[in-house]
Amino acid sequence: MKCTVVGKRVERKDARAKVTGETIYPSDRSREGMLWVVAVRAAHPHARILSIDTERAAAAAGVVRVLTARDVPGENAFGIQFHDMPVLCSDRVRYLGDVVALVGAESRRAARQAAALVAVDYQPLALLTDPEQALDPATPALHPGGNILHEVHFHKGNISVGFQKSAVIVERSYQLPMMDHAFLETEAGLSYFDENDVLCVESCGQYIYRDRKQIASVLGLAEEKIRVSAEMVGGAFGGKDDITVQIQLALMTYVTGRPAKMVASREESIVAHSKRHPASMWFKTGASKSGKLMAVEARFLSDTGAYASLGGPVLNLMAEHAAGPYLVPHVKVDGHVVYTNNGFSGAFRGFGCTQACVGIESQMDLMARALRRDPLAFRQANVLHQGDAAGLGYEMKTAVGAEPTIRAARAGKLYRQRRRIKKDRTHVSPSLAPFIRRGVGVASQMQGLGLGVGIEDQAEVEVVLGPGGAVRVKVGTTEIGQGAYTAYAQMTAERLGVPLEQVEIVGADTGTCPDSGATTASRTTYAVGNAILLAIAKLEQRRSAWAAQGTGRENLSARANFTVPTQDRQLGDGLPHLLYSYGTHVVLVEVNTLTGEISVEAVEAYLDGGRVVSPLGFEGQSEGGIAQGIGYTLFEEVLLDRGRFLNTNFDTYILPSSKDVPTAIHTVPIEVMEKSGPLGAKGISETCTVGVAPAILNALEDAIGIRFVRLPVRAEDVILAREESPHES
Amino acid sequence: MRVDIELGINGSRSRFAVEPDERLVSTLRDRAGLTGTKQGCKIGECGACSVIMDGKLVPSCLVLSASADGADLLTVEGVAQDGNLSDLQQAFVAEGAIQCGYCTPGMLLAGEYLLSRYQRPDTAQIKEAIAGNLCRCTGYTKIVAAIRKTAKKRSLVKSSAQGR
Repeated sequence: MKCTVVGKRVERKDARAKVTGETIYPSDRSREGMLWVVAVRAAHPHARILSIDTERAAAAAGVVRVLTARDVPGENAFGIQFHDMPVLCSDRVRYLGDVVALVGAESRRAARQAAALVAVDYQPLALLTDPEQALDPATPALHPGGNILHEVHFHKGNISVGFQKSAVIVERSYQLPMMDHAFLETEAGLSYFDENDVLCVESCGQYIYRDRKQIASVLGLAEEKIRVSAEMVGGAFGGKDDITVQIQLALMTYVTGRPAKMVASREESIVAHSKRHPASMWFKTGASKSGKLMAVEARFLSDTGAYASLGGPVLNLMAEHAAGPYLVPHVKVDGHVVYTNNGFSGAFRGFGCTQACVGIESQMDLMARALRRDPLAFRQANVLHQGDAAGLGYEMKTAVGAEPTIRAARAGKLYRQRRRIKKDRTHVSPSLAPFIRRGVGVASQMQGLGLGVGIEDQAEVEVVLGPGGAVRVKVGTTEIGQGAYTAYAQMTAERLGVPLEQVEIVGADTGTCPDSGATTASRTTYAVGNAILLAIAKLEQRRSAWAAQGTGRENLSARANFTVPTQDRQLGDGLPHLLYSYGTHVVLVEVNTLTGEISVEAVEAYLDGGRVVSPLGFEGQSEGGIAQGIGYTLFEEVLLDRGRFLNTNFDTYILPSSKDVPTAIHTVPIEVMEKSGPLGAKGISETCTVGVAPAILNALEDAIGIRFVRLPVRAEDVILAREESPHES
Repeated sequence: MRVDIELGINGSRSRFAVEPDERLVSTLRDRAGLTGTKQGCKIGECGACSVIMDGKLVPSCLVLSASADGADLLTVEGVAQDGNLSDLQQAFVAEGAIQCGYCTPGMLLAGEYLLSRYQRPDTAQIKEAIAGNLCRCTGYTKIVAAIRKTAKKRSLVKSSAQGR
């Protein structure tokens, strides 16, 4: 199908307002008479609360109200999967982000000062910070069900037969860090009662309808009495999927009747919100002499910290993606995700695939090396095709673009000319040249799209045709920066045959927009896009019916609901998926062996998310995903010492800057059309980052002959590893 | 005890009574209502609060408002003239240099500051100029491209004007 708006390099719908500073973000909102709210968080990572004394704080100048657990009218708990996080802790704290009181005051200064006056008497409890220790049944439990949140055990074929048939067997352990989303805008929002006595929360969540449901249960209010919006948000990446400030704001307004505002400091943000699960992984993989993958065995231990969040599903996706995009006859995966007092972890772009991919793609390179095979040819010879059995045994029923991405990567400049590029020293000074090593590495990945089997995954939208050809599309998903609203508008304009400028996206407000589901899991282009096309089909039916009757109507609207299809058989919560996006990354790294400095010099990304709706958005996602992958591999780690956070701002939690990300990023769309997708589209926002880390690790081995198995790899790690390496050159 | 100060913001002068320890970013956002200037870290690491103060790029979270008395400021709200985007703003839009947009105001001003000092900065200079402005969404690629294209365009305009 030929498209005229979809696939065109159009500007983002929201770009003009963002470039002039007009866009109102959650932290920009304010209202006459509002209180500033500051959370009083736990002083110990694990402790019993003996008493909470709010008297001095409540009497402080400017303070209007100090709330504790006693002020929660409904259920004092929330959570995406399980309601296990207290809104306000009354008897126990399990991590430093736990909230024991909320101060509402006339100014932020007064609220902060009063927060320090809330006197909490704690009895510290034994800390659980070692995930291995959490597996021991003798360890005191952090939650009533014990310290194991979830475990997975899958076995396809016969793993020992697989290893018997293998000529090459590689076994490695990997250590992956806790990573912060580091969205530029911290958690923020505003709440108030409107003139109809509806409690409005204008905030930063990734799923307004789920937020509303949770606020309602905490306040004991009907959902209709609450309105949640989150239109433009300053970044999220999964870190605003869990409730952050929404309930706290709503509670303050509910109790005081006053508008309330919260903006987290960066330090508070890094302590309080979810993280990428730190994990240790063990992989043993085997391939035959002829280069056929025979066996993948993996064991995972993932640390979800103090609360479940999405720890179970993240582990499930680690298992689902453990064998990568490959055809493997014998697969065994075992994994546990446990509670500790190490902050808490949840959704983060890649959602378990990121972790699993580091393991399997490192293994693929090690096996190719042992077999003396070209790393991409080895992958290509083992890649999954439509109709094949996936790692866990179910059939790959939808379009599989893994092989085309590998093929394109093989034909790409970086890979074809890697021998010459590796030797090139023309860009460095002659005195430095002897210390420079360059390497090229690759990785391929797949990423489940949508929420998977067993989790409701629907998108409802409304399309309204107004006077003069104006079109309004009401969607419930949030614009967190990913550019989805522009993609929605393009699909709408394409299907209706109207200019893009006539399409307005009205977003993310339970008061005006239907429930389009969560802004997560690479799902919105696919799910919301399909719902939009269904709604337009309804509109056109009606329009032609009117025309047949000889009557015309200016205002016409239609709602439609699309359910993301799933596999038939459920293997776990959200497990497995029916749809995947794919990708292959080729990375050039340069190592200064004198200083240990690593720099990523060039990246080629071959990505299949079906049809590309918005090329600027597609490239932008790819480039940003690469930057996050560089951060994960080379810089970022939330450091904890006995449950206490050591690096809570950007002076010590180091993000990649403009100097750490190459300008030489080449993103190539590999458009394998997905029949069930809107105009053939799927999604791209996670697969674009998943393969980056292992590609860099593989490039590092190519450059300096050292296999790194622990992230992040810093300059000092290079120096130390080279000192220990027998191959030091 | 408040301190009375006067600030020239985007060409017009206003008076504010500020706290002695108040930071310029708060004065701009909370008192002047100019929320285009963002706050991301409050320690001068992220650059989201960058403004141009008396011709120099500063992180407004590290400037005490009282010490800025009398200063002339350019914030993101003052970049477009009479509703017309500047060439750099246009380039940000056209190149796709914006995703969530929270770093954009600071990035734009860092770009403007660079272009006020160098006519034809190379890629390394552009990267250096925005190295104090963190972006978590874009990977910087398109931001660098937008600044580079604007520099090229401006110097062409300049040289053709000189040639005339």
